[in-house]
Amino acid sequence: MKQTLRSVLSVTFICFMIGGLFALYIRSAPSSQSQTNVLSQRMDNLVSTINNLEQEIAAYEGIVQTSRDELAGLESQVQTGWLRQLQEELHMAKLRAGLTSVIGPGIVIELDDNVAGQKANPNDDPNLYIIHYEDLLAIVSELKSGGAEAIAINEQRLVTTSELRCVGNVILVNTTRIAPPFVIQAIGSPSILMDMVSYGRLEYMITSGFPVTLTTDQALILPAYKGGLQFKYTTFS
Amino acid sequence: MWWFVPIAALFLGIFAGQHAGIQIPAEMVKYLSIAILAALDSVLGGVRSLLEKSFNSTIMLSGFFANALLAALLAYMGDRLGVDLYYAAVFVFGVRLFDNLSKIRHFLINFIRTRKQRHAADWDGAPTGKTSSVLKEDRS
Repeated sequence: MKQTLRSVLSVTFICFMIGGLFALYIRSAPSSQSQTNVLSQRMDNLVSTINNLEQEIAAYEGIVQTSRDELAGLESQVQTGWLRQLQEELHMAKLRAGLTSVIGPGIVIELDDNVAGQKANPNDDPNLYIIHYEDLLAIVSELKSGGAEAIAINEQRLVTTSELRCVGNVILVNTTRIAPPFVIQAIGSPSILMDMVSYGRLEYMITSGFPVTLTTDQALILPAYKGGLQFKYTTFS
Repeated sequence: MWWFVPIAALFLGIFAGQHAGIQIPAEMVKYLSIAILAALDSVLGGVRSLLEKSFNSTIMLSGFFANALLAALLAYMGDRLGVDLYYAAVFVFGVRLFDNLSKIRHFLINFIRTRKQRHAADWDGAPTGKTSSVLKEDRS
């Protein structure tokens, strides 16, 4: 009888171990496909890190925005005399810096990856059929030389510190990931801007088969720049 | 009813594992899976030896720890050497698992069969035995 009790106890112990190890294993390897692939697990970790950081950034942007709204409320209080003049100057400076949302006539460029072209030629290099950051950079440069006063890509306002950057599969604008379809809005003279972009990079892209639409709009609304504009190292010379 | 205890322990273990504060590092998960295989192998071996009445708890427990550790160690060494010893361990444990399972199945089938036959024999034999005894009594 003693022998049986011991045997049952040891089987029980091992069953307990199996259960515990199994649960640990399931918990440690959440994605069933990459149970043994260390690399892809690391990728999962990185992805969740990035997502968390982006949420954090969004939260901070919200805080910045509320402070700015508060500040704007204080600044727009009716003033008299030289304060009023200062107020107008401040307002213009903000407008130029891109810290306010703006409205005006301009053009809207919508472009997307050439999915149909890639499907038709599956053996080709897929790089030929996707939009690269160089394309966006070229279009933005053309818009600027056409006298665009305010530009936004996928609701990200371009200001003096804005970057257009390629990181693997995505493009960063104002350190925010943007993905196709891209919508570039630019405020300026619609006819000049239209001429400017029609004979630039867009012409090449249209002939390559990228889906591009170009429209003019008399009242485009562009959002304000949400990031910070801080000068830590620069002073007047 | 003794088999109820290990099954309860299994669920208790799952619960404990889920609520334990430890997270196995991603690199070790592979070795953990081998340890689980080793544990499964020893528990099935244990059940088999229990049924065959040749059970020894020391042998089983030492087998569990030694197998699990050795297999994980071998797999780790294989990873360092660039040889997939992992699969060797999986293969060996897999074969033993199926072997033990089939032995257990054989034993259970035999057990049930013999019990049925005994039942049947008892049932058939009972009336005749009684009558004979009654007759015997009558005669005496």
